[in-house]
Amino acid sequence: MSQELRINNNKFIDQTTRLSFKFNGEKLYGYKGDTLASALLANNIHLVGRSFKYHRPRGIMTCGSEEPNAIVQIGNDPSLTDPNVRATEIELYEGLEAFSQNCWPNVKFDIGGINNLLSPLLPAGFYYKTFMWPASFWEKYEFFIRHSAGLGKSPTKPDRDIYDHKYYHCDVLVVGGGISGIMAAKLSAENNNETLLIDDKNILGGTTIYQNNDCFQIDGIHTNYWLENEIKKIKNIKNLTIKTRTSLAAYHGYNYLLAKENLSDHLSPDERKNKIRQRLWKIRAKKVIIATGSIERPLIFNNNDRPGIMLSSAIKKFIDFYGVKTGKEISLFTNNDSVYETAISLKKSGVNIISIIDIRDKSSSKIVKEVEKHNIKIYWNHTIVNTEGYRRISFIEIMKLSDDGSGVIGKKIKLKTDCLGISGGWTPMVHLFTQSGGKLKFRSNDNVFLPDKNKTPSDQISIGSCNGDFDIKDIILNSNKDVKTFLGIENSPFDNLKVESSREEMKRNIWLLPSDKPIGKTKPFLDFQNDSTAKDVKLALREGFKSIEHVKRYTTTGMGTDQGKLSNMHALGIIAETTGTNMGELGTTTFRPPYTPLTFGAIVGRNVGEFFDHTRKTAMHNWHVQNKAKFENVGQWKRAWYYPKNGETMFEAVQRESKAARESVGILDASTLGKIDIQGTDASEFLNRVYTNAWSKLAVGKCRYGLMLNEDGMVYDDGVTTRLSENHYIMTTTTGGAANVLTKLEDYLQTEWPELDVYLTTVTDHFSTISICGPNSKKILSKVIPDLDLSDENFPHMSFKNSIINGIKCRVMRISFTGEHSYEINIQSNYAKHVWELCMDAGKNYNITPYGTETMHLLRAEKGFIITGQDTDGTMTPSDLQMDWIIGKKKFDFIGKRSLYRSDTIRDDRKQLVGLLTDDPKEILEEGAQIVEKLNQKPVEMLGHVTSSYFSPNLNKSIALAVIKSGKKLKGKKFFVPMENKNINVTVTDTVFFDKENKRLNA
Amino acid sequence: MFIINCPYCGERDQTEFSSGGEAHIARPKQPTELSDDEWAEFLFMRKNIKGIQFERWNHSHGCRKWFNVVRDTSNDKIHAVYKMGEKPPVNK
Amino acid sequence: MLNFETTLQDSKSYGDLTLSEVEPILKINLRSNKREFSTKIGKLLSIIPPIEANTSSSNEDYSVLWLSPDEWLIYSNNKISYEQQNLLEENLFNNISNINQGSVTNVTDHWVMINLKGYKIYDLLSKSSPYDFKNFKMKKGSVTQTLLNHTDVILHNIYDNNLNLFVRRSFSEDLWLWINDSARFL
Ligand SMILES: [Zn+2]
Repeated sequence: MSQELRINNNKFIDQTTRLSFKFNGEKLYGYKGDTLASALLANNIHLVGRSFKYHRPRGIMTCGSEEPNAIVQIGNDPSLTDPNVRATEIELYEGLEAFSQNCWPNVKFDIGGINNLLSPLLPAGFYYKTFMWPASFWEKYEFFIRHSAGLGKSPTKPDRDIYDHKYYHCDVLVVGGGISGIMAAKLSAENNNETLLIDDKNILGGTTIYQNNDCFQIDGIHTNYWLENEIKKIKNIKNLTIKTRTSLAAYHGYNYLLAKENLSDHLSPDERKNKIRQRLWKIRAKKVIIATGSIERPLIFNNNDRPGIMLSSAIKKFIDFYGVKTGKEISLFTNNDSVYETAISLKKSGVNIISIIDIRDKSSSKIVKEVEKHNIKIYWNHTIVNTEGYRRISFIEIMKLSDDGSGVIGKKIKLKTDCLGISGGWTPMVHLFTQSGGKLKFRSNDNVFLPDKNKTPSDQISIGSCNGDFDIKDIILNSNKDVKTFLGIENSPFDNLKVESSREEMKRNIWLLPSDKPIGKTKPFLDFQNDSTAKDVKLALREGFKSIEHVKRYTTTGMGTDQGKLSNMHALGIIAETTGTNMGELGTTTFRPPYTPLTFGAIVGRNVGEFFDHTRKTAMHNWHVQNKAKFENVGQWKRAWYYPKNGETMFEAVQRESKAARESVGILDASTLGKIDIQGTDASEFLNRVYTNAWSKLAVGKCRYGLMLNEDGMVYDDGVTTRLSENHYIMTTTTGGAANVLTKLEDYLQTEWPELDVYLTTVTDHFSTISICGPNSKKILSKVIPDLDLSDENFPHMSFKNSIINGIKCRVMRISFTGEHSYEINIQSNYAKHVWELCMDAGKNYNITPYGTETMHLLRAEKGFIITGQDTDGTMTPSDLQMDWIIGKKKFDFIGKRSLYRSDTIRDDRKQLVGLLTDDPKEILEEGAQIVEKLNQKPVEMLGHVTSSYFSPNLNKSIALAVIKSGKKLKGKKFFVPMENKNINVTVTDTVFFDKENKRLNA
Repeated sequence: MFIINCPYCGERDQTEFSSGGEAHIARPKQPTELSDDEWAEFLFMRKNIKGIQFERWNHSHGCRKWFNVVRDTSNDKIHAVYKMGEKPPVNK
Repeated sequence: MLNFETTLQDSKSYGDLTLSEVEPILKINLRSNKREFSTKIGKLLSIIPPIEANTSSSNEDYSVLWLSPDEWLIYSNNKISYEQQNLLEENLFNNISNINQGSVTNVTDHWVMINLKGYKIYDLLSKSSPYDFKNFKMKKGSVTQTLLNHTDVILHNIYDNNLNLFVRRSFSEDLWLWINDSARFL
């Protein structure tokens, strides 16, 4: 294969490894070391996409992450395809497949291009103005927008790639491996700092590593050779870790930074197998040195967006680094000295330079003189007024600038050119600095925003060109000096370097370059990705937008995936110029992370699929699985929900389980309840203060139900607490409340009542809890623990016994959440599954029935027992729940007591818990359904809602709990529960539906 | 994401901690003596200022101790940490 | 005797890295802010609970880990019989809890202990723990409580590149899966 645009003997490209790839289906070749962009250019392809709004042909414009045009779709596998990839950043690999985005049917003939002809109809705010009205037309507009705009296609199947996260701690983080970053990393690491150097490219050295120019020398050798040597040396420093292909995404407070490392994006699909694709580094650095460099600015002139128009620095990198000529007849257009470096590089590689157009009067710096030696035509004080060429630039038209630069004069000169390099100066990359909270200051002589040293968060500095040093002499001198001060270093190997450079003396800046045509007839593009022009910004200002943030949103300038890296400064400049404001006062828009787009995969890491959330399991979990339980998520716990038998539906299974528990015996895994061991001489007093009822008089060996409130008087948690000995209790909490209750109790002990002698220890996972309930529960327990006297006299309801099962200690509580005679066995978790099996065995002849959470909920609802979090929602007082009996009115104080008689909590029209029966006993209400009195009222008044609802097999009718305004007074009153297709008639009742006399507890 | 210097365990990542809101709001010793307004003042009213704020934090995934933090809410800078019951080391 | 069944019953190797559940050994949580407490424990176990944060003290039989200024975790270094465990627990309970010198709580089955060995263990932990292990890994006996894959863990450095990890029983399978998954991509 011959690539006539490729120059040989380039050390960054491995010309012995040829790689084939496809662009829009066409098979092409490049070399190892290429980016997709450099490989395309080597194949003389500039046109890579269409612009977002006008669908104008667009080409590769830059060579880095600021690229606004060359964004492509990689691959077409529905789970791996990647949209919005910058061709300038992706490294070429064997088999790479890329597609142009944003064009249909193809990049060369694009139907949306008609928008270009309609562009007078698509001004700033077009979408806002047109598509907002009438609202009913939105669907039609949306169709139009979706088909003509859009940036790439999302994958349609789950991502198969593996992404990873890792924390990293270091003394010093250096961001950017250009010359100042390399110097900083060396200084830091050689002075006993664990140092991490990251760079987004695969080769260190920034732009200096290919700056092979007589004008720039360090200690008598070209800067690139000097730096190459330094890079070789730092690779052996023990304290230094270097990560390439790693881009900094975000810089948060306390030097917490996120960086994305590409681990296999540069490999062919075969080489990627079983490798991590990307890793997100969560870096915590004691100190941070930002050396992110700067990017070149474009110039804003008529038709400045044609394929073949590129940043001058990109042309230089393509020729010097990738060995690719971006054209055969190149012109350069500038307001500063940097294109002259490009000119020398091109000349050295034998590229024909048509002309250099410079808006300045003159420049007599060393590098300009060097160019002048080569007899290159320089048009001083000229500007480009127009360009031609549809799919590739073919001509430029230039004219002389008027004295004040606002217009053009003289004769128009037309020059043939196939590539135009432009340079409007340099913009320091201050994104990370501002993300971290740093404030910028404005330097007016070259119109740059720089880190303000006085407003820099502690423990960081910016060095090099991101700090506004553009001359290599300044960069080296200041980087060395600043890093030494920052890290407290006395001597540096860089102290006495002799640096030669070409100092730029002359500056001139015109934000919007004039044309011979009126502005209305020109297309000076500002934001290439979002297709906004300087005209749009001016229009926005005329329409009254003043704030830069508003202008940005109205015109969409700077709102693309490149976050306006190229366009923001010009937008600001034009606003300042038009409104007569000082740019420094105008300020910039906010730079938000990520600096470059992150994949969702990198953000979530391994927290996908089975690792999306935790699953907590009880000791009996495997038994439930083996016995075909269906599981319910309760917090992070997997709880057995019901155990369907022989193809039962959930309803059938729950009905069967509920009947069995009341008719014979049921068994429930209650291990998920929170358990807190409470010890200390003030344990009783502590319980007095945290529960609403009184605890001092609870005898040893007895259990009591307690209700816990928040200070606002609302029910927070509930559970049974047992007095194990004089100063020793075990408290149970709800499953979901366990962790929060412990934190809250510790809070009171540590902050409000430090005088109390009380110690809390969670034992939730130590003990597993097996609940056996039903008239035959006693028979089961007597088989499992034959030695235990289960008589009502010895072991009454609400009491506890220490016991032993086959040599292992356990605690047995006789407590009930179903209203049945029942026991809870608490035993060390590692033995629990066996005890469960013993119980099952003992209950064989009694049809012992394992039941899940659904049956438990049904059984307790029959008894009118609440579930905090289901029948309460943080706005229910004990009185609202008709549980006034549990308030220790005589107690001096408890958490929330004072709130129980605030004017709001004593209102009698609060929502209160009631029972609800449907007139048709077969009708089951939906939980959450609203309750109303007058159906014809508009708007209809919602009086309350259903909180729990079941069909009770033991009562053979539907039952429900609900909260209704003033519910306590409404017993017997009829209401409606309106549903989608019908209104259900209901009657308010007592909350207890079953065994109102509690006879079964002792049955 | 801050680093908080737990007065017991030392410097740890913020993810190990949970915030408990404004500090130095003592629970009234005799709530029953308070009017509705006074109780509401204790219960609901918080300063939530921009600037130096005194806060309670809990090292919930470490030693489980509650302690106080003096934090500038405008830039998250933590000026001091001190144990429960101790006087603020900077002027309140 | 009842059969016992631990959660993981597993041991895995990934190159130099080995992971294994350590068969349940006695674990007791101690809490106290009493002055006498330390000497009491010293007499009972011939070991003084450490006062310095993030440290432990060990003898041949037991390790005592600092958890907070008034909380420690004791675990037995070797397997001991259920009867011995009971005796020890009772002895401590009678001599601490029952005379109001603090609290003694058996947490043997609350925690699952996993041993991690190999020079890459800190790479593994750093995948989801925000903790800076720099000092921890240098100092034998270091203890830390932190988060691993959003789960509370206690870590005890027993030798170079060899540590015991404690995770609550209900989370143990979940964390074990995560550890094994992560060990594949170090
Ligand atoms: Zn702590």
